[in-house]
Amino acid sequence: MSAEPPPERGPAAPAPAGRAARVAARVVGVGRDLVGRRRVQVASGAVLLLLLALAGTGWDYREAPPPGEDLSVSPPARPSTREAARLLAERQRLETTLRRKVPRGPWIVIDQTHNRFRLMRGDDTLLEAPCSAGSGMVLKEGTGGRVWVFDTPRGRFEVLSKLANPVWRKPDWAFVEEGEPIPKDPGDRLEYGSLGEYALYFGNGYMIHGTLYERLLGRPVSHGCVRLGRDPLREVYRQAPVGTPVYIY
Amino acid sequence: MRLRPLALAAALLLPMPAYGAAPVALEKANDPETARLRSQVERLRAERDLASGKGFYLRLDASRYRLALMLEGVALDDYAASAVEWGVPEVLFVNRHPGADWDTRAFSKGRLEPPRERDRVELVAPPPVVVAPGAPTPEPSPPPIPKSAEESYSVPSPYRIEFAEGVSLEVRAKGDARRNRSLFQRFGDALGLRLSDLGTAVGLGARERVRLRVTLEAEDAASLYRSLPPDVGLVVTGLPES
Repeated sequence: MSAEPPPERGPAAPAPAGRAARVAARVVGVGRDLVGRRRVQVASGAVLLLLLALAGTGWDYREAPPPGEDLSVSPPARPSTREAARLLAERQRLETTLRRKVPRGPWIVIDQTHNRFRLMRGDDTLLEAPCSAGSGMVLKEGTGGRVWVFDTPRGRFEVLSKLANPVWRKPDWAFVEEGEPIPKDPGDRLEYGSLGEYALYFGNGYMIHGTLYERLLGRPVSHGCVRLGRDPLREVYRQAPVGTPVYIY
Repeated sequence: MRLRPLALAAALLLPMPAYGAAPVALEKANDPETARLRSQVERLRAERDLASGKGFYLRLDASRYRLALMLEGVALDDYAASAVEWGVPEVLFVNRHPGADWDTRAFSKGRLEPPRERDRVELVAPPPVVVAPGAPTPEPSPPPIPKSAEESYSVPSPYRIEFAEGVSLEVRAKGDARRNRSLFQRFGDALGLRLSDLGTAVGLGARERVRLRVTLEAEDAASLYRSLPPDVGLVVTGLPES
């Protein structure tokens, strides 16, 4: 009886699950080898420490409670100690002092960066209009060496005088800018109509006045004065007496 | 002679009520109500001093979420904030506390970071021309129209106003300030900001003790950046006690 040899088989293709398991085992082995190396351990430890240090370094912010949820309560009307009573009285005095800083009558605010003009009374805005503040240009005299900077000054001023139908006494720069000789006769410096109907003088040669170039209102084109449109200027002239504070920023 | 022991006893006994009363008085002077009033008075004094000067200052009212530009006690411009925070540097999870009542004093010489550069137009006047009588007057060429503030300055977000006393005010724009930034640029911005925060926290560059952070509408943040006067002061009110 002859036994038949078993049929020859080619190399069996490994099952997909078995191959994945072998790959995974190899990766784990490589990982173990790496983790087992001291240098890798030190490096990964250092990286972890660095990440931890970075996480704990920076700025620690706290948020203020939203308005209406203010947790700081006002002290009671009857303070418990003499010191508290003294402090409460001083607090009230200081608050009154600060409140009184706001003008009682009309006041003017000029934002020269955005060329905005506001006439205020207390916290109310009576009028808001575009204006033209100083251009910030630098004018250099070709021959004399003089230099002018056309800025509007910042700070607190007061209306010192008011004029209807103002006449402009042109300063030297107005002639230099236009390439005209500076006149010897003071009468040749006078120019009528270019300042509009009214002018409110607030010191150092600066005024709030009208303009022939209303289309440029809202842009910084003046030589330092504040130009205002005709209708707002009339209203300001009517409502702002001499002594009105002018705040320019 | 009999009086001597009595005087001695009186001398020993007299200071006793005083020793007993002293801690009570100290305790009362340091009770929370008095301490709070003292802080409020200190803050108001600082504000009064700023309001009595000629300089511009900012007033941050943390309890009302308002930031105002002030001059001599008058609010010239007032911005509503959508968030008000204050922070201290933290190194390795340890805060550097600025000390009690740090916010009861006024801060000075605030300057913008990054600074706002003003590009001025310079004109050299032409030599004067003498016109003969009767001859037509030559028309001068009109000067160039200067750029508006919006055209002149691009506004970074966030920007900071750094004060001489180691306090800074960071202003962030809410909403659409970063709308035109790509994702990559935003990632770069965030990374740059994180690195900058790391640097300032560990004390590189300007020494900052406290950083206040307000979030304003994008338009308001830009307006403040463009119009902030130089050397501005700061007073802070309404922060909860830490």
